[in-house]
Amino acid sequence: MTDPFALLGVPRRLDLKDTDIDRLLLDASQLHHPDAGGDQNLFLKIRSAGEILKSPEKRVRAAIESTGFSFDGRGEIPAEVVGYFSNVASVLQDVDSFVSERSNALSNLGKAVLDRRVPGLKADLERVISNLNDLKDVMISNFKIFDEKGWSECEAEMGQVARGLIFLTKWSGQLKEANGKIFEALLGG
Amino acid sequence: MSEVIIGIDLGTTQSAVAVVDSGFPLLLADLEGRSLVPSAVWYSKKGEIKVGHEALRFAGIEEVHTSVKSLIGRRAGESDGRLTADGYISTAAGLKLPEEVSAEILNTLKEIAENRLETEVTKAVLTVPAYFNDGQRAATKEAGRLAGLEVVRILSEPTAAALSYGLDRLDESSRVAVFDLGGGTFDVSVLEMREGVFEVSSTSGDTDLGGDDFDKAIAGFAAVKFGRDLGDFESMERVQWISEGRRVKLALSEVEEAIFRIPFTGEVPVSREAFLGLMKPFLDRMESCCRRAMLDAEVTGKDLAAIVMVGGSSRIPMVKDRVATIFEQEPDLSQHPDEAIARGAAIQAGILAGTVREILLLDVTPLSLGIETMGGLMNVLISRNTTIPCKAGEMFTNAVEGQESMNVRVLQGERELAKDNWELGSFEVSFESDRRGQARVGVEFRIDADGILSVLARDVASNVDTVVKIGSAAVDVQETKVEQMVSESVEFAFEDMNARVFEESRLKAEELLPAVGVALEQAGTFLTQKEISEIQDAKEKVEIAIKDRKVAELKVSVEQLDAVTESLAAMLVEEATKAIFSNPQD
Repeated sequence: MTDPFALLGVPRRLDLKDTDIDRLLLDASQLHHPDAGGDQNLFLKIRSAGEILKSPEKRVRAAIESTGFSFDGRGEIPAEVVGYFSNVASVLQDVDSFVSERSNALSNLGKAVLDRRVPGLKADLERVISNLNDLKDVMISNFKIFDEKGWSECEAEMGQVARGLIFLTKWSGQLKEANGKIFEALLGG
Repeated sequence: MSEVIIGIDLGTTQSAVAVVDSGFPLLLADLEGRSLVPSAVWYSKKGEIKVGHEALRFAGIEEVHTSVKSLIGRRAGESDGRLTADGYISTAAGLKLPEEVSAEILNTLKEIAENRLETEVTKAVLTVPAYFNDGQRAATKEAGRLAGLEVVRILSEPTAAALSYGLDRLDESSRVAVFDLGGGTFDVSVLEMREGVFEVSSTSGDTDLGGDDFDKAIAGFAAVKFGRDLGDFESMERVQWISEGRRVKLALSEVEEAIFRIPFTGEVPVSREAFLGLMKPFLDRMESCCRRAMLDAEVTGKDLAAIVMVGGSSRIPMVKDRVATIFEQEPDLSQHPDEAIARGAAIQAGILAGTVREILLLDVTPLSLGIETMGGLMNVLISRNTTIPCKAGEMFTNAVEGQESMNVRVLQGERELAKDNWELGSFEVSFESDRRGQARVGVEFRIDADGILSVLARDVASNVDTVVKIGSAAVDVQETKVEQMVSESVEFAFEDMNARVFEESRLKAEELLPAVGVALEQAGTFLTQKEISEIQDAKEKVEIAIKDRKVAELKVSVEQLDAVTESLAAMLVEEATKAIFSNPQD
């Protein structure tokens, strides 16, 4: 795997602004997209490097690997992340049981009574998503510290943060999906 | 002058061809000055072929093949009986593949272009619904090849419309949604336009939802008024009724009420309100796709600078109304609904020919691509809305010593279970003989700029790449099996039909009876005394029928209860819907 920092000529920092990476990718696309006369293989490499840098967890992982360490996906996970799982699981379960009851409902009134649960579910989802984002920000706030210390000095902590972020991202994907499932249950589709 | 590449919108009901001239996309008209060609093909027994307006002259007299786009790249089981088991359309001139019929339309468009441009045309950009899968895209490309065209790009329709919209707004930086409701398909895409780069953020849609469905719904509504079922009609009569449905639909965009007329049968007045009732399930499905697209792009209606509406069915007032509600703003109707996509195709053709330099398009793959893993699950390798071209790799190893090969099923779709997704086909990975876990083959999945998949296998030991051919899925063979299963279960069910009807009605009653109590408590104050006593009466009848185990009475009374509680249900749903779709910051 090519070092995405090196490939895109990005400063070797974890604390990067999304807008800067977007800008870089936009310029690179205009230059290297096959339709603009660029080389397809190079374009694909640039896109995947960009995907890595745009995602905080993939970025940390790439940083660990570019320092010569290997990343272990099964290592220790930050306690606050582990502790948050029950909140995520319970709201996901509530949504799933609503969706299955709703799709099995036979009468208009039966559906309507179930739909009374929707505002509550939606509020729960929003609360959990917002707390999850706060937790993500807490993880990301370590990036500056890692940059100051030097990556090779804090590889273990970086690994832990990366694993925490991997879980948080996975959960926020599931929560987003749950949101989609609710309106699909209401509207069909 | 550089080589000419034409842009073609191959639509469900009509098609068009365009080309970029001095930086502007222009539609090309036939010798009679018409720039829209009906997507209709007529064959005679002798093999004569007429396309477009000439083909439609035979409509109602002989068979004219229309809406072939909804058959392209499909299997018999997905065609509503319009394809033979082997995937052919039966015509007066024998069996034809949908791509062969489509090729006739493309050929006509190619001739129009050659006449207008006074030069030979060999290359084209063809548009397809964004939500077309790999098979539908590949079949469309094949149709182009059959018409003697090199298809230099398969372009998504909403993206094409966005190019047309954005051409004179290149200095703006904004996010827009494109809502494209055509004759047979529906797409919605969210795009970001910055400095001439059009980047698709998300796309969603339904390849079985379009104006044809509304025509059928109106015809079905009229049929019921005459005590008949559209499903039982002979093909010619069905065509006649659906085409009258279409006329009524078009009229209802202008007037409040239109008359559905069938000679020697009678008349049925159809009001806008009745039409709205027929449209509701379709509007709901559209809304579901729109919300999915916004969710995937992480935007709300307020983040979008414009909602560009294209496609013939975007003229329907209630479609416009629903779009305004979903996106919380009035839609942008600046683009010609029937012409924008062909114009966009021409712009992309110009980009590829090098005549349009200031624009670049980054499109996405609409569906997730994955493989089936153990336990019948779908393992996603490339997720939906990934920018194309793109690639992903997967390493396969032997599970037991001496295993020679393994079968890999390639899937497209968003469902967790492999069987719920669309199977592109499967291929074999061959292993060198080795100990368990030692033989390794890397497989690379590539989706090109047309949204079409190719697969490369690399033997890790020898570093040799081979292009993997994906065998098409034998779904049609299974289709007969499924039918057999269905018919068996129907026969079986018939024996104890009474018990079944009672059981089904009882289940519905069990759900309804407590719901009535809850609902009356929560919303009863909004009902009149008469409505409440109607509901109470119906409820009592259901309870008595259950107690006496009377099948027919139970069925009727449950249906009655369902009907009288409809407005109560609607009231509850409206409140719930308001809560979920409103933004917290409002």
